[in-house]
Order: sequence, then structure tokens, then C-alpha cells
Amino acid sequence: MIRYAKPKNVDEALALLSDGPWRILAGGTDFYPALGNRPLSENVLDINGLSELRGIAEVGSHIVVGARTTWTDIIRRDLPAAFDGLKLAAREVGSVQIQNRASIAGNLCNASPAADGVPPLLTLGAEVELRSASLTRHLPLEDFILGNRRTALQPGEMVTAIRIPKSATAGTSAFVKLGARRYLVISIAMAAARIVVEDGIVAEAAVAVGSCSLVAKRLTGLEAALRGLPIGPALAETVAATSLPELAPIDDVRGTAEYRREAAREIVTRAVLAASGHHPLTKVAA
Amino acid sequence: MSLSIGLTINGQPRTVALDDPRVTLLDLLRERLDLTGTKKGCDRGQCGACTVLVDGRRINSCLALAASLDGATVTTIEGLADGEALHPVQAAFIEHDGFQCGFCTPGQIMSAIGLIAEGHAGDDPERIRELMSGNICRCGAYQGITEAVLEAQKTLAERNRRDAA
Repeated sequence: MIRYAKPKNVDEALALLSDGPWRILAGGTDFYPALGNRPLSENVLDINGLSELRGIAEVGSHIVVGARTTWTDIIRRDLPAAFDGLKLAAREVGSVQIQNRASIAGNLCNASPAADGVPPLLTLGAEVELRSASLTRHLPLEDFILGNRRTALQPGEMVTAIRIPKSATAGTSAFVKLGARRYLVISIAMAAARIVVEDGIVAEAAVAVGSCSLVAKRLTGLEAALRGLPIGPALAETVAATSLPELAPIDDVRGTAEYRREAAREIVTRAVLAASGHHPLTKVAA
Repeated sequence: MSLSIGLTINGQPRTVALDDPRVTLLDLLRERLDLTGTKKGCDRGQCGACTVLVDGRRINSCLALAASLDGATVTTIEGLADGEALHPVQAAFIEHDGFQCGFCTPGQIMSAIGLIAEGHAGDDPERIRELMSGNICRCGAYQGITEAVLEAQKTLAERNRRDAA
């Protein structure tokens, strides 16, 4: 018989974690699906009793999103326009039934290359707060997700929060997802962009693409090329002309690498234009 | 070792002894509490046939561990009708042919009730389609489902206005 524990506070959870291996249960929406046809044989640490890990708060220089905060919580919360892309992504995470349960930290810990939450969080400069009984550390999201279903989580650690520096919450953001149908679909590719406009000129640009590499990536070369451009057709022309070496798509059941490379450039263009306030968000379906 | 949990299911307080913490809410309802109205379709959160309300919010019961829901209030399709009188969402599904084989219907109806309670669908059919997209219908009764949701939403709003007056 496996063990099941539902601690009442984080310290109790961390003490249990330091004691041996557990599988952490949050929203649970990928808990059984990730096992495939294997039966669950690990001990279950249910963190749904940890109310301190749910909600969004301003703490000093950061906006701190508790690990258990659901996508529905994010959609309903009043947040600066820089979070619009994250809210659009939240609406694309499975269905409303999934969004009501699934947590933001679960999306990161599952480390799927197709996780819709990751590109917008990358454009917000998100960092991941990891705690163990003896240590609290903060890792940039780029350094937390290491590969397909691989993270930097160490034994005894759990994610307790996602921290977004207020310095990265200027401007407006957008998110564009390409799937084989309009809703309830795993992404073929998705793009997030956050653009800060000053006097009609791009002052700051953050662009990230998911599902086109093992881990979603910021497009730093493109970001540099966009800075200083006037809002208008120059943005789309620059996306078309800039090489995107970060993209290393694969062939799989959802699309070929070649198709992904083409499609990614198109949705990056749409996300950049939408975030710069110059284009209505277009719905994409293959 | 058995784990005892308390749930309020369709208004009835129930105490359940789980002999295994791994049982899902769906299996608990169907296999142990004989509430077979909630259907098992894909058993992995992709089809919505198992949708129930937990504390007023729609979720996929196939993904929820029952043990984790100690203290929760659960509403299933069996808890909707008032005797012989159908819930307005049930009545609207019949009125608008919102089904053919009927297998996905309990999940569709529970999802629609959750959607209407969320209160931000408005009367835009495209928004209804987005918010109902967690419920797949293999017979393709989507047109009738969308119409049923729109009408039930109106009926429930009128009823709330009357009750408030």
C-alpha cells in the first residue's frame, strides 16, 4: 500500500519531503495521464491543503504567484497588461474543467515542451522559487526546465512560487497558439510577446516560442532587432528577415519540423503585432 | 489502512472509507456509490464525459483523487432534477436536441451548469463553444448543445430575477 499525506502547512510538507521520495499532487490534471498505463506505485504528497501556496500578491520588487494558483485564478485576477499573454495562454490550457484545477507550478514541473504557460512566463522574466527543509533558492525559469519532462528540482525540494520581477511587467503582451483545431488541443507551436512602446518606438521586446525546441526559448536575437523600431510594418518585416537560431523543431504526430519552422515565424509576427497594439489578435487554426 | 473522508454528494452527507488512496472521484461515484450517471469516456481528462461540480466548479472527476476532496460538496447529474421536474439545463437539452446517443450528455449538462454559474459567457455562441470545448460529442450535436446552453442561461436568469423580486 502506498502512503498518502496531506500536510496542513509548507513546513510540514517540506519535512515529509526530506524524509523520502514522494510524488507531489497539486491540481492532479497530469497526475494519472503522465503515468500512461502504469499503476501509481509512489507515495502521494497532496499539497492541496497548503492554502498559503494559492494566490497572487505583490511582495517587494516582485509579483508572486503561489505554486497552487490555478489558471482560472489567473484569468479572473485583475493584472497589468503585461500579463495579457499569460491570461490568453491560461484560456488555452486544456478546458475550463482543467483550468479550474491545474496549477501554474504543475505546468512548469511537468516540463512538457508544449506547456502553454511557459512562453508567456519567459517574456515576464519569471523565476521559480524552490524550497526544501534546509534551503530556499530562486532559479530563472530558463534554468529550471532542463528538457522534455526534466527540471532542476532536487530530491526534497518543491516549487512554492513563481516570482515575476516588477521591472518585467511594463508594456502589453500577447499569446498566439497554433493547434490542429481551435480548442482543447496540444500546441503545434505557440508564441508569446511583450512589447514596451515609447513615443511610437519599441523600447523593450521580449519574445518566446514553445513547442519548437525541447524547452521553450526566448528569441534574443529577434528581441534585439526589434528594439528601436517604429511601430508599424517594420516589425513584421524584421521578424521575416531575422534568423531564429533558437528554434530546433522536431517531426512528430502534430506536425513536421519544416511546417513548425514556417508556422512559428508567422505566429511570432502575429504575437509581436498584437503586443505592440497594431493588429487585432487573429484566431489560428491549421 | 483505510482512509475515511466526508463528502456532501447531491445534498447528502456521506462518509466513505477508502481502502486505497489512489481511487478517483469518478470510480468512487460509479463503482462504490452506484451513481453511474457520471460517465467514463477517456479516463484522462480529454473528453469531459465525467464532468461534475466540486464546490460549485466544474472539474473532470476522472483526474481527481477522491482522498484529496475530503470535505467537498459534489453535484452529479443525479442531483439536478427536483423529483419529476427537470433542471432547466436538462429541459433545454431535450428541447434543442442537444444529444444523439446520450453518452456525453451528463458531462455536457454538468459543464453547462458550471459555465452558466461562472457568469461570463454572455450570448455569443463562439464564447459558448470555447467554454464548452472541454466536452467532446462524438455524435456531433454541438449546434443543439450551444442553443440549449444559450436558452437555459436565459431561463435561469429569468428565474433568478423572479426569485429576487
